Amino acid sequence: MVSEPTKSSIFPRTDWAELGRATEADAPCLDRLIRLYWQPLKIFLMATFPGLKQQADTLLQEFAEDKLLQDGWLRKADQNRGRFRDFLKTSLRNFVLDRLNRAEAKNPPISLEELEQEPPPPAAPSEAFDLAWAQAVLAETLRRMEADCKKPGEDQPRRSYIWEMFRIRLLEPIFNDTVPPAYDQLIERFGLKSPTDASNTLLSAKRIFKAHLSRVIKEYAGQDAAAATEIQALEDFLIRLAKRG
Amino acid sequence: MKLEKRMQDPRQPSVTVDRTVMSESDSPAAVFQSRANKLATLLATGEEHARLWRPDELAAIFRHQMSAPMLVDLGGFDSRTATKLRTLSEAQGLLLKSFGDLFHHPSPLIELLELVKNFAKANLDHPESGLPGEIAAALYYTSIAAALIRLDARISQLPDADLRHGLQWTLEQAWLDEKTKELLAQALGKISGVQKGAMS
Repeated sequence: MVSEPTKSSIFPRTDWAELGRATEADAPCLDRLIRLYWQPLKIFLMATFPGLKQQADTLLQEFAEDKLLQDGWLRKADQNRGRFRDFLKTSLRNFVLDRLNRAEAKNPPISLEELEQEPPPPAAPSEAFDLAWAQAVLAETLRRMEADCKKPGEDQPRRSYIWEMFRIRLLEPIFNDTVPPAYDQLIERFGLKSPTDASNTLLSAKRIFKAHLSRVIKEYAGQDAAAATEIQALEDFLIRLAKRG
Repeated sequence: MKLEKRMQDPRQPSVTVDRTVMSESDSPAAVFQSRANKLATLLATGEEHARLWRPDELAAIFRHQMSAPMLVDLGGFDSRTATKLRTLSEAQGLLLKSFGDLFHHPSPLIELLELVKNFAKANLDHPESGLPGEIAAALYYTSIAAALIRLDARISQLPDADLRHGLQWTLEQAWLDEKTKELLAQALGKISGVQKGAMS
């Protein structure tokens, strides 16, 4: 059954091969697909139809049952026609508009007049959705990287140091707006033997992060080239959004 | 708890700063609380061409380099080199353990200086080397300077003008220690003398 996942577990893991399996009524696959896309879709729905915030979960539940879970519906998603997440957004928007029109025709408790704003045209980008998407991708990347680095029995005996160094030198300054700990502090804390040792530890961390990021994105975007394009697209989007404040 | 205190006590489980609390395992949660500018910075973290270290950390890095055991860095070339290095550094009771020991020894072994020069060059030439270019360049020119001054030997085929330029550049780095500056200044003087035909 559809349930709202926790924040850290939400992320779109579906690749087109998995999507293909989902269209063949693979129930666990479909369930996972819906769970993973739930939060970004909810954010998109509430941003597009602010007047329907209270009904967002219900509408998403109905969208899942009427569309996603219907045999053959996901076959309409054509990789060549655009990104899968755009397909989902357009479908959800059309679904909600259809519900609103029907409700308006029957009786007037929910009408377009009640909405705080007109819904945007279908091609309008949903920044909230894309931001939620980027957050989900990055959160999953970090979750996997941390688990990977802390995995017992890894070949590199100091692999857990790699995560720790990445966390305190790069992550915490980003998230907390603090100055990164100085070089001297790092070598003392981690017992680094030389600048090459210190640099290699930090470089390894960056490489592991990049590898997990690529893997996470490849799972829904496809092969290397598409993943690289998607990483660039996400970066461009975030920079554009950041510049606007 | 401030970061500085956390650094002093690794047993502490979390870091608390003015705005955000981030435990050792809640980075995914921090992502969901972050705005676009922070996410963009995080996304760019995987880019390897970004500088690993700040310019104001070069003094600490050079200090660390000079005190680092040579075997740690140079032993990474290959097993033969590592064995050779170990043999050389322990030869004749010289006990040359660190880069600083080597550069400031009254009669360092030329093979060791050449190994250091090659190590520095390899890092300078490697696009993915994490060692700051400034530090690699300083090692490179200091090894040449040490050979020139301590052994009256030339271990580089660089033209005098290029060598002088490199020595001068290294000498001007504010993060360099006084002993190394002195060595470089002597080498620079010697090279200038060479150019004037003072040395055959």
